[in-house]
Amino acid sequence: MSERTDRRIQSNWLLLGVVIIVFIVASGGIMLWLRQRSIDAPRNPAMQDQRIEQQFRRDEPLPVTLYYPSEGMLATGSAAVQRQPDTQSQARELLIALFADQRISLTPALRDLKLRNFYLDAFGTAYIDLTLGPQKDVRASAWEEHLAIYAMVNTVLRNFDEIKRVFLLLDGREARTLAGHMDMSRPFMKRMDLVRQ
Amino acid sequence: MPLCMSIIIKVILLCLLAFPQSAFSAEKGLTVKGVRYFSYSTFTRIVFEVEAAAPYILIRSTDGRSATLSSYDGPFLLKTSLPMVRDSVVTGLESQEEAGRAAVVIRLGPVGEVKDFVLRGPDRIVIDIAKGAAPAPAPAADKPVVIALDPGHGGKDTGIVATQGQEKMLTLDLALAIRKILRKNPRLKVVLTREKDQTLTLDERAAVSNAAGAVLLVSLHIAPGAAARVFIQDLFDEPGTRIVQPVSGDFLGFEADSEQQEMLWGNQQAAYARESGSLGRKLARQLAGQDAEPVQAPLALLKAVGAAAVMIETGVGMDRSHAAESIAGGIELYVRENR
Repeated sequence: MSERTDRRIQSNWLLLGVVIIVFIVASGGIMLWLRQRSIDAPRNPAMQDQRIEQQFRRDEPLPVTLYYPSEGMLATGSAAVQRQPDTQSQARELLIALFADQRISLTPALRDLKLRNFYLDAFGTAYIDLTLGPQKDVRASAWEEHLAIYAMVNTVLRNFDEIKRVFLLLDGREARTLAGHMDMSRPFMKRMDLVRQ
Repeated sequence: MPLCMSIIIKVILLCLLAFPQSAFSAEKGLTVKGVRYFSYSTFTRIVFEVEAAAPYILIRSTDGRSATLSSYDGPFLLKTSLPMVRDSVVTGLESQEEAGRAAVVIRLGPVGEVKDFVLRGPDRIVIDIAKGAAPAPAPAADKPVVIALDPGHGGKDTGIVATQGQEKMLTLDLALAIRKILRKNPRLKVVLTREKDQTLTLDERAAVSNAAGAVLLVSLHIAPGAAARVFIQDLFDEPGTRIVQPVSGDFLGFEADSEQQEMLWGNQQAAYARESGSLGRKLARQLAGQDAEPVQAPLALLKAVGAAAVMIETGVGMDRSHAAESIAGGIELYVRENR
């Protein structure tokens, strides 16, 4: 009989302990939440303006530099693209803008190609995945092919310091050449000597 | 029991002696689904792509003029046509059937060592045949200097199409015109990668030049406009990237690190950067004036050429005979100064 009484007293103490712990944890959580809220809340009108400005900049187009073949060299142009949350999406947006550019639509090699996808790995290697248009092949001279490749490569590398090298793919695979001359099995670096000064 | 053990041991020994480098699989017979070959300056490599690695026999004839590849056990099936191989090492490939056993016979010129090994995934039997000792070297003055000319594109690949015609035909005409001029020089022997309208891969073009022992290769292309450009190989050299440098004149051993040796195809040009620069400069100045310089570019063909190599793009509006004379003049100048 006395053993049963002892057990009841022990279980009451245990329940009380659990209630106290739950209370402490809940109080701590509420305090932290209130503190965080006070940090996030604008303390003065100036900070509120800054937040509005940041929001505005996110909506503001990002100015970028494009390179495109023109009169036997690469010419420099500027454009504005929609801001994206990460480098891969931003670079893809940049290439979409390059391929949509009126000046590209007149260029041999590039006018026969479409951007299929764009990938960026953790080591700064970008992969521009291209696909052929309805004509199913690229007819261009070696120099035109050379300029078309470096128009894409220079555009990507000039706008993103974190991208170190570029590989070109055709329909998701490594291809030997675009138009029978230039080796696409290797990574490409910037070639600013091809840009008209 | 001892008799049984003795037979088993003999069978194992026979296998070990007969196929020291063969790969074994549960499947019997050997099915060849593709045959490729590569001509290097010191040896020729023949690659048999097989459906699954299986024991094979490679027998060299007693006179050393042929080697025969067949399966050790079961049928030997050849599901592909044999390529036309003709260089100073291998004079031909033939399929043969004797007493119901199929085989591939490799006809050999004066050759040295024949080595074979197996690569897995995809399974391949690789046979490397080293060039033998030359009979007796001709005096330097009498020995012809081999020049390789490559008319760009061909066959299904027309290249660009201009009002003057398709690029593949224009490059062939230009190559024939250059050959006509160079033939007047008795020191020079001109080899064309193609002499008619035919499809050739870039590797096949490089192999023709390598097999002929050419001291230089000029690949000919046409571009819109009236200007000419000379390209040389831009040797990719990113810091931290491993580049396999071929050692000129060495026979490549394959006992170890054979995958690395596979990488050598396509890196031959690295050893000829200085010669290609010199040839490119001479041709650029012949074609485009005294200040002209060759353009460095990542060229898919030139990287596998084991000689001084350039690609020339002449404008479709250029005078063809003037272009041919300028190119021939640049080649002769290079040969005079460097050979």
